Amino acid sequence: MSDKSDKYRLKNWQELPPGGVITEGGNAADYETGTWRTWRPVWKEENCIHCLTCWVFCPEEAFLLKDGKTASGKDRKEIKEIDYFYCKGCGLCVKECPVNKKGKKVAVEFIREET
Amino acid sequence: MPKTIAITGNGAMAEAMRQINPDVVAAFPITPSTQVIEDFAKFVSDGKVDTELITVESEHSAMSACIGASVAGGRVMTATSSNGMALMWEMLYIAASMRQPVLMTLVNRAMSAPINIHCDHGDSMGARDAGWIQLYAENHQEAYDNMIMAPVIAENMDVRLPVMVCMDGFLISHSVETMQIEEDGKVRDFIGEHTALNSILDFDNPVSWGALDLQDYYIEHRRGQQEAMNNAAAVVADVSKRFGDQFGRKYELFESYRLDDADRVVVAINSVAGEIKEVIDELREQGEKVGLLKIRMFRPFPYTGIAKALSGCKIVTVMDRSTSMGAFGPLFGEISNALYAADNRPLIYNRTYGLGGREMLLDDIKDVFAESKEYLDNGKVEKIFDILNVRGA
Amino acid sequence: MSKYFEIRWHGRGGQGTVTGAKSLAEAVQGTGKHVSAFPDYGPERRGAPLRAFNRFSDGNIRIHTPVLEPNVIMIVDPTLIGTKPLLSGVNDNTIFVVNTEKKPAEIKKALGLDGQTLYTVPANSISYRLFKREIPNSAMMGAFAKACPEIISLEMLTKEARHIFSHLLAEHLVEKNIEAIKCGYDEVQTV
Repeated sequence: MSDKSDKYRLKNWQELPPGGVITEGGNAADYETGTWRTWRPVWKEENCIHCLTCWVFCPEEAFLLKDGKTASGKDRKEIKEIDYFYCKGCGLCVKECPVNKKGKKVAVEFIREET
Repeated sequence: MPKTIAITGNGAMAEAMRQINPDVVAAFPITPSTQVIEDFAKFVSDGKVDTELITVESEHSAMSACIGASVAGGRVMTATSSNGMALMWEMLYIAASMRQPVLMTLVNRAMSAPINIHCDHGDSMGARDAGWIQLYAENHQEAYDNMIMAPVIAENMDVRLPVMVCMDGFLISHSVETMQIEEDGKVRDFIGEHTALNSILDFDNPVSWGALDLQDYYIEHRRGQQEAMNNAAAVVADVSKRFGDQFGRKYELFESYRLDDADRVVVAINSVAGEIKEVIDELREQGEKVGLLKIRMFRPFPYTGIAKALSGCKIVTVMDRSTSMGAFGPLFGEISNALYAADNRPLIYNRTYGLGGREMLLDDIKDVFAESKEYLDNGKVEKIFDILNVRGA
Repeated sequence: MSKYFEIRWHGRGGQGTVTGAKSLAEAVQGTGKHVSAFPDYGPERRGAPLRAFNRFSDGNIRIHTPVLEPNVIMIVDPTLIGTKPLLSGVNDNTIFVVNTEKKPAEIKKALGLDGQTLYTVPANSISYRLFKREIPNSAMMGAFAKACPEIISLEMLTKEARHIFSHLLAEHLVEKNIEAIKCGYDEVQTV
C-alpha cells in the first residue's frame, strides 16, 4: 500500500494536465477501494484448490496470481494472495468459492474487519 | 501582396476561415451569421479547403461536434449568433473547461424575446463567464484580423482555450466595406500547424476525456483554467504584436483614441467606436478634450492597463450595448472594477444604447458628450444608469 | 455636410436596390477609393419601400450610420416620388438620379425641387429591352457614372462591373449588363 501512497497524493493544480484529461490509461488500478471494506475475506491456502473462481468473480481484481503446477506437473496459475488495497469486502469470493459451497472446508473465510 | 477588396463582414470571416483551413466546421444557420457558413460551404464544395463540414440539427450539436472533433485532435471552427449561441450554452462551458481551442465567429445579435435579429451584445455578454476568450471588432478589418490571430492564441500551450471573435450583426456582418485580405501563404505561415494535445485518436497514448471530477479536484481544474485565462492576456498581446510586425496593423488589448490628455472619455465596444471617433475628431476641433477607450479583449479583461489608461481623465461614460437585468451593464461593471484601485479615480456612469439594433447616430453621440460635460461642470453624476434613445423618458 | 461622398438609394423590395448599392461600391472600390454599402436592415418584403446607402472616401470610412444628408439620391422606383422619406436631408447641392420615362423638368416639379441637379434615365425600359424584365440596377449605375464622373468614369465602371458580374452571372448576361450600363449612361437626360 505504501508504494502507491505518492500516487494517491492529491495533486496541486499546477500538476494537472489541462481540461481534466486522464492521461494514464487504466488508472482505476490506482484507486484504493480497500478503504470501503467492513468484512475481510481471508484466503486459506491449505484448503484452496486453485480453481480461480474467486479471481474470475472479484470485481476489483484483488486476487493476485502466481505460476504453479498441478499434481501431475502441468503448468497452471495459482492464487498468490489477496491485495487488500483493492479488496472492498464485497464477499463475492466467499460466496462463489466451490470449496466453501461444499461446506466441509473453508478456502476463503469472511471475518469482521473490526477484530 | 494583400488584396484590397469590398466585402461584407460575414464574407471576410469566411475568407479568414478559408485561409485557416480548419479540419472540421460544425454549424447550424442563424441570422445574421448564416452567410459566414454559406460562403464557407462554397469553399468546401469548390475544394478550396480540406474541411469536413458537418451540418448538424441544432447549435447544441454544433458545439458538441466541435468539441468532439477538437478532442480528436482537429482544428475546429463554427459561427453563430444570439439564440443560436444560447442553445450551445452547456457546451460553451464544456469546450472551455475541457480546454479545447475551438474558434467561433459570433455575430452579435439581440436575445429573444421579442424576436429581434438586429445588433446588440446580449449574446456574447451573457456568455462572458463561460470561459471563452472574447475579442471584439470595430469593423470588417478588425474582425478578420482577430480571426487570423485567434488560432494562434487559442492553440498556445499556455492557453488552450476557445476563442470567440465578435462583430456587430448587420452593421458589420451585412455591410460591404473596404478592407485588406492578406495573402493565403503568409496567413498560413503566421498561423502555423495545429498541434493536438492529448488527442483521443493518439492510440499510442490512450487518454480519457470528460471524466467525473468531484470535491477533491474540480477546484484545482478551475484554478488551472483561470491561470490559462491569465496567460491568455500576455499571449493575445504577443500574438497581436507579431501580427503587427507581419501585416502592419497594430492591435492592443484595448485601443486608446485621443486619450492621452482627455478629460472626458467614453468606453465602448465594437462598431459604435467608429462613430465615436468621428464625433471626437469634431469635438477636438472645437477644443474639447474628449477621448475613447475601445475594448478589444473583454475576456480576459485587462483591468490593470485600463485602470492606468483611465486614471488621468476626469469623467468616464461607459456605453453598454446589452443589459444585465437588475444590474448595471456588464462593461460598466468591469470598468468600475478596474477603476476602484486606480489613482485619481474619475467620475463614472453607465449608458445603455442600441438594444435590438436601435440606431445610434452621430448626434446621439454628441448628446452623450454634452451630458458628460454637464456632469463634469457640475462635479457630480446625476444619473448613474440610463438607457439612451428610449421613448417615454 | 459629411466628409464622405454619400448616396441614398430608394427602391422597393425585389428590385435589386441593395445589390445595386453593393455592386456600385465594389466598382468604385476598383478606383482605389474606400467604400461602404449597406441597406436599412429589416424584413425584406417584395414591394415594400427600402433604402440602401453608399459612402465613398479617399480615406477610412469609420461610420456605419444611415446617410442623412446624401450627395446623391438614386430613385430606383419612380412610384416612390411623393413619399416623404425621399427628400429628407436634401440641400441645394443634392443630385438626383431617377429611373423614369418622364422628362427631367416634369420629375423636378413632381419632387418640388428648385436648383438641384436632376438626371433621368429610362432604366426600366432599357432593362426590358435587354432582359425582357425590369431589373434597373445596371442602367442606374450607368446613369450614376454620367451624373458623377468624378466618382467613377464609364470606362472604369464597365471594366469593374465586368469583373464583378463575372463572379455572379453567366457570360452572355455579363455582356448584357455591360450593355445596360452603357445604355443607362447614354440615355440620361437632364434640365
